[in-house]
Amino acid sequence: MSLFGNASSFGTGGTGVFGSTTTDSHNPMKDVEVTSPPDDSISCLAFSPPTMPGNFLIAGSWANDVRCWEVQDNGQTVPKAQQMHTGPVLGVCWSDDGSKVFTASCDKTAKMWDLNSNQAMQIAQHDGPIKSIHWIKAPNYSCIMTGSWDKTLKFWDTRSPNPMMSLQMPERCYCADVVYPMAVVATAERGLIVYQLENQPSEFRRIDSPLKHQHRCVAIFKDKQNKPTGFALGSIEGRVAIHYINPPNPAKDNFTFKCHRSNGTNTTTPQDIYAVNAISFHPVHGTLATVGSDGRFSFWDKDARTKLKTSEQLDQPITACCFNHNGNIFAYASSYDWSKGHEYYNPQKKNYIFLRNAAEELKPRNKK
Amino acid sequence: MVVCNFFLQGRCRYGDKCWNEHPRGGSRGGGGYNDSYSRSGGPPQPRGGGGYGNRVWVNPSQQRGGYIQPSSFSSQGSSDWGSGRGGGGGGGGEGGGRRENLKSSDFSFSSSNRFSALDASNAFDKGGRGAAAGFGTAGDEDDDKKLEVIQADVDAWESSGQWGFSCYSTFKTPISGFTDLSPEELRLEYYSSRASGDLQGYLNGVNQLLSQWKSRVQELKIMNPSTRMALLAELKGTAPQSSSSGFGSATTTGFGSSTSGFGNKGFGAPAQSSTFGFPALSSGFGSSSTSSPSTGFGSLITAPTQSPSGFGSSAAPSASSFSFATPSADKPPPTASSGFGSASGFSFSSTTATAGGGFGSAFGTAAASPGAGPVGDVADGLFSPESKLTQEELNQFKAKRFTLGQIPLKPPPANMLVV
Repeated sequence: MSLFGNASSFGTGGTGVFGSTTTDSHNPMKDVEVTSPPDDSISCLAFSPPTMPGNFLIAGSWANDVRCWEVQDNGQTVPKAQQMHTGPVLGVCWSDDGSKVFTASCDKTAKMWDLNSNQAMQIAQHDGPIKSIHWIKAPNYSCIMTGSWDKTLKFWDTRSPNPMMSLQMPERCYCADVVYPMAVVATAERGLIVYQLENQPSEFRRIDSPLKHQHRCVAIFKDKQNKPTGFALGSIEGRVAIHYINPPNPAKDNFTFKCHRSNGTNTTTPQDIYAVNAISFHPVHGTLATVGSDGRFSFWDKDARTKLKTSEQLDQPITACCFNHNGNIFAYASSYDWSKGHEYYNPQKKNYIFLRNAAEELKPRNKK
Repeated sequence: MVVCNFFLQGRCRYGDKCWNEHPRGGSRGGGGYNDSYSRSGGPPQPRGGGGYGNRVWVNPSQQRGGYIQPSSFSSQGSSDWGSGRGGGGGGGGEGGGRRENLKSSDFSFSSSNRFSALDASNAFDKGGRGAAAGFGTAGDEDDDKKLEVIQADVDAWESSGQWGFSCYSTFKTPISGFTDLSPEELRLEYYSSRASGDLQGYLNGVNQLLSQWKSRVQELKIMNPSTRMALLAELKGTAPQSSSSGFGSATTTGFGSSTSGFGNKGFGAPAQSSTFGFPALSSGFGSSSTSSPSTGFGSLITAPTQSPSGFGSSAAPSASSFSFATPSADKPPPTASSGFGSASGFSFSSTTATAGGGFGSAFGTAAASPGAGPVGDVADGLFSPESKLTQEELNQFKAKRFTLGQIPLKPPPANMLVV
């Protein structure tokens, strides 16, 4: 029995390929493959901040590990180090100075990994798996924010075992994003809460979700003055909502668009609808990338409301994506996201992380 | 290129074929109307409800402007008409009640064709059903539209192969019967049960969830009158929501929400046959007493704290589960509900047959069985044998609907389930 109906297989001949040498569509975009990828699905990716020279990529996976690679300018990737949790890793983030990596796992703990000493220590504890982890750097404090399936949002000073603050949420945290002074958390049952982080974190507003189905990913975008002004919210229904916090004209400024669906113009056959697994904004251009269960990534310009590019279809869903600090590199991970249940899970199938040059393709479309 | 003024207003008739420029980002809302009939020009008519935007074609006969009340009209007990509606016909028959009047042969001037649209229109046919919609409110048309939207949505959802364990909401109200479960939660469940060796429990659980979802989807697609009424009540915010409300959110079907473990096993304390009202414990899980240890799921919430781990601890299982529309609902065995709330199903661990591996309990299938009484009665698992039910209970199960206050606490016998 397949979960949720006829599952069209991904790509052509991609499934169940065991090291086949025939042309399989695992990398139709011919992007750079990261060496030694994790052995199980990649749940999250993060590039090092600008304060560090060079580009370092961190990936958390369902194999309970977090891996770090150095990405050199010629495109070569060098595996550097690895840390383990006792449960699948669901979230990773860097500290602002690039010396530490924070990892959040289903084992209900979050760890701080000091890259220089290659030591990791636990800094957070929840009653349920931790889904999201972000570093907050405010003028008067710094802390880690963790969102968990135990319906709480906790803030941790890494030196103390007790949270600095714990906020109750209406439901399990499904995704979150932080761009100081704003934080957005999307929860189960279509919950959407915005927090303001100045002085100390507090709930700013609960928003009626613009989407009809389960929230899957969220990403904050900034305005021309580099201040966070809204967010993009993706759902399992192949749709992304762009929502501004205080728009001059909400009805016109906020909108949703469909993405990651099959046969766009053909209306006779029912459309296949795929979940949007992750959204990332380009740090320089402000354009966004979405990756979906259909195994494609797309670039969009939200101001011109157009699509810039859609990739070819990979043979596996794309589960995570991320831009490096200057927007030159777009990393995306190709691995199974459980969107069709356990039947389509093949532990032998190789997982990939690809790197693509993003300097040109994400330039905004000029408005006429 | 010249910018198309009509496009900016949202009324360009040529759409993509237009020779003028359509700047993106403007008038997106209007884009959909191109190539369809022109709007009736001028401002929208003061129909009772919204939905104007959806109905592009306007029956000219319904326009107020052209309508002149013949004098004979007033003599025919037109008082109903006179009040408020100024000519009845408008708006394609709003107000079910009024329509009844129309239908009657009082209207000798049907020849005038003014109301031909009404007579013939299918809008009218809905008058009968319109009783459900408020009289004098936005009118059945809009409710109908809303229900159609729901039907279409659910249809697309089913055929698209998208993730089914998701909540669904439309017109700002969440539709009951759907609960949110993310792929990661499901996957974690799988990994945990694989590690603990109880994969079958996981499979059972997933199957349960799936069948719950499917039956709810079917319900919404078919849209029989009781579903309709329940939905409309929900949309208007008057739904019993009793149990559900909390449920909805609370459901946390949890994959253990907080505790990863679907542990409910912890919930032991079967006791509760509570079915409604107290989430409780997962009745089914209760039985878990046996199973509890197993599962490797980390933390077990041993204490029957109910609340926590998410499975619904909330009350009232009822509804919320996939298949149930609302507590009051039509469909029989709500039994499931009881279990549902609590424990929510992922108990995967419970190896005992009951509650379908835990999952079941939560969802429908009588997980409640324990509720039926002694937990020990595992053999029956999900259903109670007929002999154990009293006559009243059997009658309740046989009836089309449950009567409040007499809803059986025990699960129905298996042979009474209509699938």
